[in-house]
Amino acid sequence: MSQVEKKAGLLRRTSSSKKPLKEKVVLMYDEIFKEDPAKHNSRFWDELFLMKVNLEYLESKLETVDGEEVQRIQDNINSLFHHCVQALGEEHQIKVVNALQTLCALFRGVHQKNKSASGFDIINMLMGFDKAEQRMKDLMERLDSLLCGDGSESLKSLCLKLLLCLVTVTDNISQNTILEYVMINSIFEAILQILSDVSSRGQHGYDAVVLLALLVNYRKYESVNPYIVKLSIVDDEPTLDGMGMVVHQALTEYNRQYKDKEEENQGGFFSTLTSMVRFNFHSLHLISKYVTNEAILLALYEAVHLNRNFITVLAQSHPEMDIAATPMTPTPTTPTTPLGTTPPSLDMMNNPELPLDPNLLTSNLLITFLKYASIVMQDTKDEHRLNSARLCLIILTCIAEDQYADAFLHDDNMNFRVNLHKMPMRHRKKAVDKNIPSRPLVCAVLDLMVEFIVTHMMKDFPMDLYLRCVQIIHKLLCYQKKCRIRLHYTWRELWSALINLLKFLLSNETTLLAKHNIFHLALLVVNLFNMFITYGDTFLPTSNSYDELYYEIVRMHQVFDNLYCMVLRVSTNTGQWKEAASKVTHALVNVRAIINHFNPKIESYAAVNHISQLSEEQVLEVVRSNYDTLTLKLQDGLDQFERYSEQPKEAAFFKELVRSISLNVRKNVSLNTLSQDVLLKEFSTIS
Amino acid sequence: MEDTELEVSPTPSDQNSPSPSSSPSLSLPSTPSSSCAPPPAATPPLGVISEGVAELSLFIDAEVAQRACQEVLQKVKLQQVEGDVPSQHSGAKPVPNSPPVALTASGKPMKIREQEDDPEGLAPGSVKSARRRQRHNPSKQSWLLRLFESKLFDVSMAISYLHNSKEPGVQAYIGNRLFSFPHEEVDFYLPQLLNMYIHMDEDVGDAIKPYVVHRCRQSISFSLMCAWLLGAYSSDMHISTQRHSRGTKLRKLILSDELKPAGSRAHRDPLTFSLIPFYHGLSPSKRTHQRSKSDATVSISLSSNLKRTASNPKVESSQDEVTDSNSSLDSLEFETVRLAPQREFIKSLMGIGKRLATLPTKEQKTQRLISELSLLNHKLPARVWLPTAAFDHHVVRVPHTQAVVLNSKDKAPYLIYVEVLECDNFETSSVPIRIPENRIRSTRSVENLPDCGMTAEQRAGSFSMVPNYDNDDEAWSVDDIGELQVELPEVHTNSCDNISQFSVDSITSLESKDPVFIAAGDIRRRLSEQLAQAPTTFKRDPEDPSAVALKEPWEEKVRRIREGSPYGHLPNWRLLSVIVKCGDDLRQELLAFQVLQQLKSIWEQERVPLWIKPYKILVLSSDSGMIEPVVNAVSLHQVKKQSQLSLLDYLLQEHGAPTTEAFLSAQRNFVQSCAGYSLICYLLQVKDRHNGNILLDAEGHIIHIDFGFILSSSPKNLGFETSAFKLTTEFVDVMGGPEGDMFNYYKMLMLQGLIAARKHMDRVLQIVEIMQQGSQLPCFHGSSTMRGLKERFHMSLTEEQLQLLIDQLVDGSMRSLTTKLYDGFQYLTNGIM
Repeated sequence: MSQVEKKAGLLRRTSSSKKPLKEKVVLMYDEIFKEDPAKHNSRFWDELFLMKVNLEYLESKLETVDGEEVQRIQDNINSLFHHCVQALGEEHQIKVVNALQTLCALFRGVHQKNKSASGFDIINMLMGFDKAEQRMKDLMERLDSLLCGDGSESLKSLCLKLLLCLVTVTDNISQNTILEYVMINSIFEAILQILSDVSSRGQHGYDAVVLLALLVNYRKYESVNPYIVKLSIVDDEPTLDGMGMVVHQALTEYNRQYKDKEEENQGGFFSTLTSMVRFNFHSLHLISKYVTNEAILLALYEAVHLNRNFITVLAQSHPEMDIAATPMTPTPTTPTTPLGTTPPSLDMMNNPELPLDPNLLTSNLLITFLKYASIVMQDTKDEHRLNSARLCLIILTCIAEDQYADAFLHDDNMNFRVNLHKMPMRHRKKAVDKNIPSRPLVCAVLDLMVEFIVTHMMKDFPMDLYLRCVQIIHKLLCYQKKCRIRLHYTWRELWSALINLLKFLLSNETTLLAKHNIFHLALLVVNLFNMFITYGDTFLPTSNSYDELYYEIVRMHQVFDNLYCMVLRVSTNTGQWKEAASKVTHALVNVRAIINHFNPKIESYAAVNHISQLSEEQVLEVVRSNYDTLTLKLQDGLDQFERYSEQPKEAAFFKELVRSISLNVRKNVSLNTLSQDVLLKEFSTIS
Repeated sequence: MEDTELEVSPTPSDQNSPSPSSSPSLSLPSTPSSSCAPPPAATPPLGVISEGVAELSLFIDAEVAQRACQEVLQKVKLQQVEGDVPSQHSGAKPVPNSPPVALTASGKPMKIREQEDDPEGLAPGSVKSARRRQRHNPSKQSWLLRLFESKLFDVSMAISYLHNSKEPGVQAYIGNRLFSFPHEEVDFYLPQLLNMYIHMDEDVGDAIKPYVVHRCRQSISFSLMCAWLLGAYSSDMHISTQRHSRGTKLRKLILSDELKPAGSRAHRDPLTFSLIPFYHGLSPSKRTHQRSKSDATVSISLSSNLKRTASNPKVESSQDEVTDSNSSLDSLEFETVRLAPQREFIKSLMGIGKRLATLPTKEQKTQRLISELSLLNHKLPARVWLPTAAFDHHVVRVPHTQAVVLNSKDKAPYLIYVEVLECDNFETSSVPIRIPENRIRSTRSVENLPDCGMTAEQRAGSFSMVPNYDNDDEAWSVDDIGELQVELPEVHTNSCDNISQFSVDSITSLESKDPVFIAAGDIRRRLSEQLAQAPTTFKRDPEDPSAVALKEPWEEKVRRIREGSPYGHLPNWRLLSVIVKCGDDLRQELLAFQVLQQLKSIWEQERVPLWIKPYKILVLSSDSGMIEPVVNAVSLHQVKKQSQLSLLDYLLQEHGAPTTEAFLSAQRNFVQSCAGYSLICYLLQVKDRHNGNILLDAEGHIIHIDFGFILSSSPKNLGFETSAFKLTTEFVDVMGGPEGDMFNYYKMLMLQGLIAARKHMDRVLQIVEIMQQGSQLPCFHGSSTMRGLKERFHMSLTEEQLQLLIDQLVDGSMRSLTTKLYDGFQYLTNGIM
């Protein structure tokens, strides 16, 4: 061992001092590209894996090989691949490390060279088509045993990096034909084992979760992906918890970084008294600094969507000492990369939050996720953040549809303070965090939806997000109605947000209609009101709140009147929106009945009592005393909703998302993080 | 050591063979002398032998042991026929070498002198007169012997003689006699036994030890109970004292788990018990194999976070290896983790309490409690139990969202509900299999269906109209809220009814096909009606989270938790609750419990209809423990705060008009419990009687809780509460005023109760007196504690004089300003009404 170390040290020194002199390993690579290297030196392969890998050289060499040469050296490359796989079984850890890195270079180099080539050509070039199945089987088995064995943690980390490298080597994961072999020779169990063990989860959890998320997306819609099947039936709580913890930590880290930055900027703002505009600029700038963590979010989505047991994990509380229990060994860290496979800073796991901090005291994945979503949703102009926001809303949709999750969200015994991040805006003060009451979690979800609705009424209208948002509210209301849960929530905020949304749609009708079907959104919003009007008795918290609903509708009657005029106009014309608009006119029947019933009553009340401006209390009084003469129409299907399904509606979105994640992961998967020094140090103590 | 053991080992056979032949009446003196004569070398100090017993049993020849065992069985049969035959009881121990040890401890023929400490028995009564007779009889020795052999000799007397006798022979004999009493009866006096073991001289300790060791072998719960009590009652001693180390030594011995269940094995399977240590490794029976497997899982699940479900084949297989490799050593494995799960369980509960105490607000405490308990759930089910429960069970789940933090200024007592599955014997029955939290899901998956047959059946009914078992996809989707109405049929039909009514009322079809109309007024009306109908629960108050939880009727809570539990469908599912106290000394509470229990049984025996409710106390150490909560009871403070009514009006509201059967029975209950507790308060000098410490249950009984200030201690020494007991005008009003029949009934009950208690005064005094030994508890402060207590029984008064006394006490208490003052004081300082 020490000999090797010395050798490696010597080599490095020489290579750095005298440029023209080639490294021995480079000479050996060159040999591979010439002729059968083992012809002259029977110990060639043994020696090769004792050399420090020169990834760049090997990759570039592979890329420069042109057409005919390929034919010539294919056998040598196959042989290199074969020996790499063999070397993985070596006891000599240095050999294993070098073999892993060489394999990575092989996958990358060959793909880089043959971007347009079919998967079969690539397989042929790497392994030889006839032997491919056996080679890949061996490779996966070796990786599996390395990952599950008691070996060095660095080795495990490297194995995961290699797998990530393999999975992301093509832009479109589904075109990566080599993954067929990864499907057949599943490493799912190895990933689960990493996630279930506390210490390995701390070190490799992030990579493992990203890998799993990517593997699940391989030919998701075209074939039976065994990873999907397996993930959907996992019911082992510690493993699922482990997965939840990894996601939880990654999101927490993001939230923490954001908060730190925000506080920093705020200090600057208050001291310099810059304008609000400047402030806004700051906060936008601030968001863009932290690229969202789509890979981890995708993992969360897949877990929530596929695995019904995972829902319990969302509600699983994490007191900090659980995190503190994670034993840490020194893990190599790279300079922070915005997104990718670098695990979120591990300090967090080493330094548990102070046990007395009231805000961080207990949290669960759902709370962390809601906070994260509140940050991500603040600005959706950037493509990545738009995707993240969309994914957040999709996850919330899945959660809102799940009965167990709903039960947890509405559990009166489980109250939490959730500090959602709110965008600083001109017309409102920044909410004081301290005064947030402890409430059932569903209140936080509703707050988040309301917050989104009021902050995204802009020219570049995120219609898709709005639809999801309104649907989430609808699903929650359906649950409350069915279970007769009377949530003590200030529904008024929701009502006024929805009315403002309608107002916005009306005033930007022409610009929006060019791109979107605003009638669909309007219909959903009006139907939310219909839910309250017709089924309010089943879920409103007080009788007063029903009066307030009427008050709000009557107060804002102009918006509904205008909306009615607009949809009536569009539905009487012939055009593509005729159908959609007429649906809205029908949906408005009860709202209009309320307005038409109470407005004259209020006016006459004002006239009789000679009051020009009625107070809220007076209007409420009129409302209360005139219910009995109002007849409403029962609308069908108000409490029905379309269940979320990924296919076919969302398939395109996920394809794109996975592509962008793949690109990012590939960019950031850093095999060099394990510098030879670190490894040598580690292994010298082992052997 | 080795030599001694080898020498000792044959003695059981020598000892046991003659013993059945010896006649019962002569047995006590003759057996020891005959047996100790042949091997004089084999009488080492007791400590050596009994501590070496674990190894000893391994050296006993299997054949001899089997013979001994058969003898034991025979004797047990004999005993059942003849009833009380002491000499044979001494042999009725599965550990064959203890009889000679115990009997020869004195090393000489027994001389029984007059009992110097014989309590001054003045009252008439069979027990007393027996003792007195024995005292004045010239042939005391045989009288005492006769008493010991008589049917009247019960545990209470045994404890009393053990405590009072200075004679090692008597002590040794009684130590032996303990084996013949039913376990439950001895268990009641366990605090006394152990306190004597710790604080009294060596002879008493030596007499008690074999029994304790024997029972520890038999039972895990007894072992732990002993360990906890030994720890708690040793704590008042100076660390360096030698005696201290005796209690601690035994405690260590128990906790080290060296007292392996040789006894418990014998208990289960008497004929082969001695063989198992030799052969179990080679031929594990199917039964032991299964048991140990489940135990291994428990130990693993408690100590690490290994998996147990099948979804992770890799981990599963590795675990199988673990258990397989263990299966060859299965019984050993079982023994090493015998006490571990339960200790771990208790430790985590205490740890939670300690961490909660560091948090500033109730709200934070509650949140933290809930999340900590949810983690605890991961380790359940396990071979753990609640020692306060009356039946054998395994804890399967803690419904964490139901737990509440109780009101306390600086400590953090909390109340948890615990789901358990009743079983025959928690030591041998297998631990239930974990059912994941989301039961509904898992019952869907095919592999779990047979396990949860009940659920499948139950659910089959509600799902009959939804054909969702047809294919996988549909089965998967059933959970979402879209199909929820299936699970809430009544809700659905309700709204259907309403709507259909409307449709009949108002078919005026203006628009398209059959529109249904509803009146806005109806919606509004239904809303307010339903809100009014909703059961009046206490408003959730973050500062008093326990109020809501305690208000809910127990039955309703059980039903609700059962519905939400994945184990709820099992027929042996039970809900228990327990208050975990961390940082509080419960030894006084335990003393009070014992006294209450004793008085209760005295009153039952004397057929006096006084009602009291002793609630169970578990002392875990000198500053931690558990309390069994009184269910369906709220404090008078809460009653008054919530109802804003006087006590009488509240009872009228709850039970009906003054002449109704319901009210009258509630009133009778109130009076009987009032009388009981008035006496208790007087006798024990229970102080700190504010309304927060008095509960009112659903049947009208009052129940006093919190015996933190009894006997010689009172709160803050303010001199408040000088009256004998708390009797406010409100109480008297409930009894129909000071002139009413019920009030006279109350006084009469008190008189009868006091007379009955006086008759059996010794049974009460003895409990207190023994516990005073070596204790620093505030209730024993000063030197007059026992004298004062004794005086309050007023042995010298005639019944007429007693009646006068009661009248005086009642009058005094009624007129007492201090009660009122004290309530005012409590209101000012603690906000208790």
